[in-house]
Amino acid sequence: MTTIRFRLFVFLSIFNAATLTLAYVGYNTFQVFRQSRKQLELSYLIRDEIAKLGSNRPTSTQLRRLQSFRSKLTPPRRMEEFSNLIQAYNEGHYAGIQSRRPVFLKNEAEFQRYTREQMNYLEQRLVYFAGLTILMLIMNFVGLQIFLHRSVIRPIQSLSRKMVDFLNDRYTYQFSVPSLDEIGHMQSTFNSLAQRVIQNMDELRTLDQAKSEFLSIASHELRTPLTSIKGSLSLMRSGVVGDMNEMADNLLTIAENETDRLIRLINDILDLAKIEARKLPLTQNWHSLNELVEKCLKSLQGLAQQAEVTLVAEAMPPIQVYMDDDRIQQVLTNLVSNAIKFSPKGKPVMVKCEIGSDQKLTIEVRDQGRGIDPEDQEAIFQKFRQATNSRNPLVKGTGLGLAIARALVEQHGGEIHVRSTPGEGSTFYFTLPEWRFSNSKNAEVAA
Amino acid sequence: MRILLAEDDPNISVIAKISLEKLAGHQVTVVSDGEQALNEALTQNYDVILLDEMMPKMSGLSVCREYKSRCQEPRPVIFLSAKSQDSDLREFYETGTGFIPKPFDPTKLAFQIEQLLKGTE
Repeated sequence: MTTIRFRLFVFLSIFNAATLTLAYVGYNTFQVFRQSRKQLELSYLIRDEIAKLGSNRPTSTQLRRLQSFRSKLTPPRRMEEFSNLIQAYNEGHYAGIQSRRPVFLKNEAEFQRYTREQMNYLEQRLVYFAGLTILMLIMNFVGLQIFLHRSVIRPIQSLSRKMVDFLNDRYTYQFSVPSLDEIGHMQSTFNSLAQRVIQNMDELRTLDQAKSEFLSIASHELRTPLTSIKGSLSLMRSGVVGDMNEMADNLLTIAENETDRLIRLINDILDLAKIEARKLPLTQNWHSLNELVEKCLKSLQGLAQQAEVTLVAEAMPPIQVYMDDDRIQQVLTNLVSNAIKFSPKGKPVMVKCEIGSDQKLTIEVRDQGRGIDPEDQEAIFQKFRQATNSRNPLVKGTGLGLAIARALVEQHGGEIHVRSTPGEGSTFYFTLPEWRFSNSKNAEVAA
Repeated sequence: MRILLAEDDPNISVIAKISLEKLAGHQVTVVSDGEQALNEALTQNYDVILLDEMMPKMSGLSVCREYKSRCQEPRPVIFLSAKSQDSDLREFYETGTGFIPKPFDPTKLAFQIEQLLKGTE
């Protein structure tokens, strides 16, 4: 297995070693070059001095100067010749000077020529090495780029494309065999991950389908027999079977009432199941809130009169709400009919719409009934939960009304709550997020 | 009136038959699938034909279309259906005379039929 790390290590080692070697050789060459240049300069100086002196005896300063050059001379053979010459000068050995001076000058000229040649050669070599080093650096850079692009960037890009495809539900099962490095590992991990998610999604889809099927079967299978029962009962009630005695009449009434209750219950359960399964699409549009409240109160007028309760709608600003009006009316009807059921005789039920300081639209239904105990205030929104220690035996319901109301309000993006003081009454209120004043221009267009 | 009722649920057809015969005094013949309904409608003389939309063998709508194309003087056809979407309703009214939603109230069935027939005269 060649990991990216290993390959990168090998690549960088080779390139760096090569570059360093080149640089080292170049540096050494440069040192030799500098040495040669120094000797050449020295050689010029010495020749000048010697030429100036001629055969004369040097002054003591001149001699010291010449002596100071001596130690710097290389190679040793040159140093030795020079020493002998200086010695001759120092001793004033004329014959010695005469014989050594021309030889020394000739040798120095020869040395200068040779050194210049060598320096030319070294210069060329230096340029060559510099060029090679620069080339190496460029290759290093380009090579690294290519390596990164091939082994790291391209696989990562392809992986990220795959992820985007996956996000957009366009994931395909086409797996290229992943390479045996870190990114290949990541790729195969992602593939397994995607497969698992897809598998889970498939399972969920199957479950969802099963739920939908159950809902439609249940609603059909439950409603069909109830329809027959209800039809039969109402035919009996209509007198087709002849007159009934009082006992039969009572039994028939019980059967009718309980059938009605069962039908209501089944409708509520199926409604709730549909809302929870998101199988009840909202048909939202801009509707006038005032009209909705008016319609709702009108439909409950009969119930209110029976219970000797007055329905009051407080003055409301003209507002339009983006909602499924049938569903919100269902919510409001539920709240108001609850309020009526729990109101004592002669007390009003108030409906009020308010825009709070946070620009939230709140719709309130307030009664002056016996109120709800704090510990029941959350429970009543749950399924089949009623505050049933009721002193009012007339209160009958499926126990699903508030659960449905909450589901519907939440589906609209709002919230539903209650505040209540036992003994003083309850206020149920819900919010709807999308509203506007209906005197705006948009409202006219929508209307 | 002589009424042909095509309905696959025997309970519903009994209720409808009793309702129409005992309460309104009509004469009702019951069949339980689409093909029988088409045969009956074409061979016998009925005043009105009630068709359930969802039936075995042939749907109410196709029975109605077939019947109207093969009969010179077709009698009014009324559908019984639990479908209630606008598009469904439009199809019922375009194909037949009218539509009675299910579940129906047996005490009002005869009245509903009369109302629909009134519209055709």
